[in-house]
Amino acid sequence: MAMRNTTHRWGALAQLFHWVIVLLIVAQFTLATMWDDLPAGPKKLSLLARHKSIGITVLVLALLRLGWRWANATPALPDDLKPYERKLARLTHVLLYVLLFAVPLTGWTMSSARGFPVSWFGLFQLPDLVPKNKTLYHILDDTHVVLAWTLGSIAVVHLGAALRHHFMLKDDVLRRMLPLRLHKTPEQR
Amino acid sequence: MSGGRHTSPAMRLGTLAALAALGVLTALAWGADTPAAAAGAPAHYGLDAAKSTLQFNFTQAGARNQGAFRRFTVALDFSPDNLAASRLQVSIEMNSLDSGDQERDDTLRGDDLFAVKKFPQARFSAPQIVKTAAGYEAVGKLTIRDQTRDLRVPFTFRTATEQGAAVGYMSGKTTIRRLDYGVGQGDWEATDQVGNDVVVSFALRLTAAH
Repeated sequence: MAMRNTTHRWGALAQLFHWVIVLLIVAQFTLATMWDDLPAGPKKLSLLARHKSIGITVLVLALLRLGWRWANATPALPDDLKPYERKLARLTHVLLYVLLFAVPLTGWTMSSARGFPVSWFGLFQLPDLVPKNKTLYHILDDTHVVLAWTLGSIAVVHLGAALRHHFMLKDDVLRRMLPLRLHKTPEQR
Repeated sequence: MSGGRHTSPAMRLGTLAALAALGVLTALAWGADTPAAAAGAPAHYGLDAAKSTLQFNFTQAGARNQGAFRRFTVALDFSPDNLAASRLQVSIEMNSLDSGDQERDDTLRGDDLFAVKKFPQARFSAPQIVKTAAGYEAVGKLTIRDQTRDLRVPFTFRTATEQGAAVGYMSGKTTIRRLDYGVGQGDWEATDQVGNDVVVSFALRLTAAH
């Protein structure tokens, strides 16, 4: 598999960005549910610290991913898609990218507003984005949660669309984001 | 019989000699005391609470965090010329801790950390102050919760006259390990999220008491 994208297929690096970010987002939701009923204590702090570190990782990966996307060809959507389907696909992808930035950024900012600086896996401390402000913290906390669930919901729509392409439309939209060749690619048919 | 009351010349001589010796010793002791008396009793200082800070700096989840104690008292007897008679007493109202976050403050006040209901004060008592290359060091004992440990606190001291009154500025910092004082019971004994090392720093404005 080539490192770079072609007009038919996502390259290895684009796929790596996609799937690593998927795994990290799943981990983020898992961590967030794990500390929910924990009392304030080192265990909760530990889960929160990991959540923040992973969030910063997602933010950096999203930045690199977007840069890589701009420096590469984007595989074209199948020709037989209707205009509204193309628009919907475009909207979903734009929203996913926006949320990949917005969710970690609101998380980072809410930590700053709370007065709890963010550290990346205990290796280095990130600067505070805003001065301490309790009201802002509460607003950002709510925003972070709403945006996270929006990201999760759109990701589910995205997954549903990929499965529709694969099983109903029987095109290569899902396959070209998979490292394994489940079926032959169109050019090999 | 009068023989019993009679003091022999030898005894009289002995008494005289003893008195003379006592007189000489007293004179010597008086003389030896004079230079110390010239150094003077150390000035007694009290805290100007409004212009003083006592802070603690700790690691939480890999990041530096800061807090302060808002109520504490300081009694300092200090004279650079008379360190032998200098001493420092600090008493901290633990309930006055302020880490900048209500929820965290409540956690810190809890039984597993400072247990402020059971141990309302922390105390540093230094009966000895010594000169160092950089300034001075208060040598004493720190008590937090029910644990007491030896502690040397380095500090600098300068005096000033402000509006006719003598004031002293005292500042310094030292690192203590919270677990030495039992600050961290149960789960809180873990140091991966909240570090063991805590930097305590102070910048005090002291006013000379008359």
